[in-house]
Amino acid sequence: MILSIEILLLILVVILAFVSLWIRDLVSSVIVFGAYSFLMCLIWTGMGAVDVAFTEAAVGAGVSTVFFIAVLFNTTRKIRFNPLDLSSKIFATFICSAVAYLLFLGITDMPFWGDANSPVNSVVSKYYVENAYSDTKVPNLVTAVLADYRSFDTMFETCVVFIAVLGIFMLLKKEDDDIHLGSEETDQENDSLIIRVASRFMVPFIQLFGLYVVAHGHYSPGGGFQGGVILGASLILLAMAYDMKFVQNLLSIKKMIIYAALGVLIFAGWGLVPVFLGNNFLDYTAWAQLLPGTDGIMARSHSMLAVEIGVALTVMCGMYGIYMSLVSDGGFKKGL
Amino acid sequence: MYFNYSAVIILMMMGLWAMIAKKNIIKKLIGMAIFQTGIILFYISMGAKAGSTIPILDYYKSKGIIDATHYANPLTQILMLTAIVVGVATVGLGLTLARKIYDEYSTFNEDEILDKVKEEK
Repeated sequence: MILSIEILLLILVVILAFVSLWIRDLVSSVIVFGAYSFLMCLIWTGMGAVDVAFTEAAVGAGVSTVFFIAVLFNTTRKIRFNPLDLSSKIFATFICSAVAYLLFLGITDMPFWGDANSPVNSVVSKYYVENAYSDTKVPNLVTAVLADYRSFDTMFETCVVFIAVLGIFMLLKKEDDDIHLGSEETDQENDSLIIRVASRFMVPFIQLFGLYVVAHGHYSPGGGFQGGVILGASLILLAMAYDMKFVQNLLSIKKMIIYAALGVLIFAGWGLVPVFLGNNFLDYTAWAQLLPGTDGIMARSHSMLAVEIGVALTVMCGMYGIYMSLVSDGGFKKGL
Repeated sequence: MYFNYSAVIILMMMGLWAMIAKKNIIKKLIGMAIFQTGIILFYISMGAKAGSTIPILDYYKSKGIIDATHYANPLTQILMLTAIVVGVATVGLGLTLARKIYDEYSTFNEDEILDKVKEEK
């Protein structure tokens, strides 16, 4: 734990957040925000939160920057110069300094940073660390807690992603007739041969890595969320390098919605089966009766892989669907 | 030893200020995302333990004896892991609304939108 580097990174993060809000060009602002996210990943890795850093690198710095750019590309990057309007600024500054003052007063009540015996670290999380391996045989504690102990949480987070995709799709959708293939007015393929060939070469490896991250989440940082985002990013790359039609031949919008729903269904269905076997909802030990050659412990371990696949399917289709809706303004014809 | 918490407060207030005072709705969304990363940093800082390693067990090396103080807190991490993915979904929804507003009023500026709404009435 090198403290001075952490302090340096924290100062840099605050500076980048300020620059990202202050700079007078929306695209630059978004790019600076991406750099801010990457520095945040470094800080979290320094504190041992590798899974969170992995997710932030894939989602916060990667995909959400792409979403911002996709919207700005078709609208405007300019910020109108406002005549100095002090009333709202003074109001906001007053509110924020008051809240900051109250929070700073309370800061000394927090446990020391790095205290292993603070209330947060001592009760339930201690149980997780000490018993997760004997309960589930999964060395990556984050996966064990994510997909087993707290799978209710994860299931509904997956539902939130699915609902957000449905909302974005519904808000931007034009007429029903517009969403079909083979219409004439699609955009041209990207004219850069290098980009097309290079992305074509990269996509299989990106997808292989995404599948590896999903499947190897038990033993290394990763899991359904990260792998799903990587798989979705490979499709987004294809949509950028080629055209919207090319990638819709691989995964059409209709299939996207169906697969996203299927992911939620896999998760919920896998949790519902134990109910019929006489256990609680999402209590995977009952799967030992159905899966051959497993006891209760290994059934939990295998069930985690199954629900992670469901999560990955929903997140992949979610990221792909959000990008396609945003970049084409709901028409699914013309992209970047 | 409160550097992390101070950075959290500064980041959160920066995001809050941007959400209130900025006129551009894309800037407001960036402010919301900064607020969110501030909260995530707060949780991760609470779960960090001095001298600990990542929460992935090396079972053979530890020979079955697991000391909870040697591993970072997995609980705060999973709470934040799902929060990040949901965060990007909310940012996407916000961007969709911004895009709809731009289609209607062809500006991202709050004041101009208000003027145009008033004109329509």
